[in-house]
Amino acid sequence: MPRIDAHGHVFTRASAEFPREVSPLVPADKEETVETLLTYMDTNLIDQAVLVQIGGTTYEHHAYLKHCLQRYPQKFQGIGLVPEALRQTPEEHMDRLTDGTGLVGFRLNTVGGPRDPFDPIDVRTFDTFRIWQHAAEKDYVLWLYISARDAHLIAYLVDAFPQVRVVLNHLGICPGEGTFSHDQWGRPQVDTPSYNPAFHTTHRLSAYENVTLHLSGQYAFSKDPFPYNDLAPWHQKLLKSFGADRLMWATDFPWIYEHPGYDKLTTIIETSIPDIQPHELEAIMGGTARRFLRFPDIA
Amino acid sequence: MMQPTEEAYRHWHEEGYLVFENAIQGEELARLQSAFDHWAAVCKEDWLLSIERGEASATFYDIPNVLKKDEVFIDLVDHPGFYGHLMAFTDNDLIFLGPQARTVPPWVMSYTGWHPDVPPDHPLHIKVQIYINDVESNSGEFAYVPGSHKPGAGPYSRVNNLAAMPGHKRFTGKAGTAIMFNSYGWHVAMDNHTSVPRKSIILIYERRTPGRVEPGKFAAITSSANTPDRRRLFSLV
Repeated sequence: MPRIDAHGHVFTRASAEFPREVSPLVPADKEETVETLLTYMDTNLIDQAVLVQIGGTTYEHHAYLKHCLQRYPQKFQGIGLVPEALRQTPEEHMDRLTDGTGLVGFRLNTVGGPRDPFDPIDVRTFDTFRIWQHAAEKDYVLWLYISARDAHLIAYLVDAFPQVRVVLNHLGICPGEGTFSHDQWGRPQVDTPSYNPAFHTTHRLSAYENVTLHLSGQYAFSKDPFPYNDLAPWHQKLLKSFGADRLMWATDFPWIYEHPGYDKLTTIIETSIPDIQPHELEAIMGGTARRFLRFPDIA
Repeated sequence: MMQPTEEAYRHWHEEGYLVFENAIQGEELARLQSAFDHWAAVCKEDWLLSIERGEASATFYDIPNVLKKDEVFIDLVDHPGFYGHLMAFTDNDLIFLGPQARTVPPWVMSYTGWHPDVPPDHPLHIKVQIYINDVESNSGEFAYVPGSHKPGAGPYSRVNNLAAMPGHKRFTGKAGTAIMFNSYGWHVAMDNHTSVPRKSIILIYERRTPGRVEPGKFAAITSSANTPDRRRLFSLV
């Protein structure tokens, strides 16, 4: 069974060949290339990975991601982004980015429905409805790291589009406004309540067979150092509710290369779930991603 | 104050729950409903903001610090409609842990799955859920697996489809119905597939044990704890 790292980012310096937006997280002169990632993967016996777009949402901003996917088609699958301005007409952008490129889906960070949970719901009015509708038609994966405001709205779309393959990122956590910061190593940090609203929103989506979840991002949410013991009960509970066939291990590279270290994160699942069965570990470490995301067989 | 009959004792020990129809009624119920709706409206914007900050779930809404809001909520805690039973089942050694004045909006599924609240080695833990509005089938009604509170019962599976839990019983009821249950037992709020939010107050009690008494917890309502029994119930002594 291949070992697959199901979520992370690569980027190169901003250039004419590979244009991208810059931010404190990805300044213009910083790069974390796919070759660096491959070194970590090879050292730690990781066979394949999912590359998630960072540094801009336009077609042109995806140039480096497409380059990586085309150069290593057996190794990687890609997840793209949709510009805010195209949410009402996303179809052409989505099709163009997935046309023979190795991109298999799109990441969303909002859903776009009513703020008040007591308001009547009509999913056709949600900002992202056409993205979901087109994903259903074209069998694209939707990759969700949704803001807290919209956490409960995901269920309406999952329910409306049972054929869409959905991946909840980073333990299903939906970050709240004002909770983002960066630590001394430049890693994203999210102030996360231990009794988390996700228990009553995204974690409830275990009822839907088309929903899977990443066991990842611990470094950003935990109040403990590696191995993040405060989050171990979450891992154990998620294994019970989702089952290993709907959980995927991921590192969220490159933010973890130095702290805690890529090698350490390859052990996080068995450390957090000491009584995990071998077949469950195999599924979480790659089997689920291989099946759900349809990774190619390794030559 | 109503005391449990022999049949109520048997049912409580065997099944793990009791239903008190019309426990709250008439003018008292109307006042309770009015206070509930008033404070739910007053506090709603703060809840919406706490959702946005990632501190609260949008799938249920609790009025904060409800005992400080109106005496009608305090009077529920030792309400004669069911309080005699609580005292009898805990050998007159009861403490109150807290209320949840909870509104559950319609959603595509329940906000929670089947669960017990505490393990069987925990001191006896009892909840009383009082419906504030009429709760019909498939509208978020309380459900319980009778007998699941007993030592050695189960094992029970956390089935994703709540209706698939073997042997469960659902509790519809008119406003003012109170359901008392042993929270060692497996329970849940069923899916609400109506357009009507489910409103209820859940009162949480426990058999008094030294480690669980927090003398300052209800200090803000000291003036309402105007009898020795109440002061003991609210851990003020």
